[in-house]
Amino acid sequence: MKADAVRGHLDAMLLAVLEPGPLHGYAVITAVQRRSGGVLELRTGTVYPALNRLERLGLLRSRRQPVSDRLRRCYELTEAGRRDLAGARSTWQEFTAAIDAVLGLTASARRVT
Amino acid sequence: MSTARRVDPVEDYLATLTTSLHGPARAKAAMMREVRDGLVDAVEAQTRFGVPRAQAARRAVLDFGAADEIAPSFQRELTIAQTRRTARVAAVTVPVLVVCQLLVHVVARDPDWRLGALAVHLAAVATASGLLAVTALVVTGPLTRLLPTPHRLPSAVAWTASAAAVGMALAAVALGVTSALSTDWPLTAFAGVLAIAAHGVVAASARECRRCVRAGEGN
Repeated sequence: MKADAVRGHLDAMLLAVLEPGPLHGYAVITAVQRRSGGVLELRTGTVYPALNRLERLGLLRSRRQPVSDRLRRCYELTEAGRRDLAGARSTWQEFTAAIDAVLGLTASARRVT
Repeated sequence: MSTARRVDPVEDYLATLTTSLHGPARAKAAMMREVRDGLVDAVEAQTRFGVPRAQAARRAVLDFGAADEIAPSFQRELTIAQTRRTARVAAVTVPVLVVCQLLVHVVARDPDWRLGALAVHLAAVATASGLLAVTALVVTGPLTRLLPTPHRLPSAVAWTASAAAVGMALAAVALGVTSALSTDWPLTAFAGVLAIAAHGVVAASARECRRCVRAGEGN
């Protein structure tokens, strides 16, 4: 799936892969690709400024810590980030339920038509 | 003998991106260090699967995205960081302008109307610059999740800080001239030196903020 299709959902995906614990930038990118089964293609250069922006918004915090013998900038969710992620999940579920209904992918929608 | 030298795609890419970005040195250095780490990780990940290093480096750069397409989102973050820095500098140094304005106003009790007019203008510049600086710090700080950062805010902060810097330079000149004619010259001379120092700090920060705004518009 092309990078354009990912735009608009990038923030929520970044927050989601950081939910289990801190990761550095490249690990965040590979986590998104792994979770999507390799379907989602991220232009890796868009991820770093997005992480910077989420940190500025107070949804992430970062610190330098050693990873594989190198000091790396690792990000983790803040409490505000966890609340934002919960909101994004809820919004996404409502959105996909509505689209599913319009596309006739739910049992109730098929009965109506 | 061939003088051609082999260019590392990663280093070449980093150099291009570094040249196109402007902003606070520390923030920019941290950003570029993170980009370098990410590219090195991408190269190492591919070489572990047997991809030759040169090919892995080219692929990592390709996956990262063209520098001119990627730069605007990096520049946006640096511009906001520089805007906050300039606003902080203005918020701290504007009181210097206020003190200078008060001194000019006191000295202007003599019949020279030009010093009185300068005092009024300095007060106006100080008020506008101070209010905008505080607004910028609040909008990009505590309210940043509630309010989108206005598109024109960095430009507004850059130009009002520039105006404050000009005001400080004018105040320094006025206080210098006044010192030569006044019996209270140590006080006015001290305020003049303070105004020159404040001018230097604010002008440098405002100039960098204008460069960030221009880089954002050019990207």
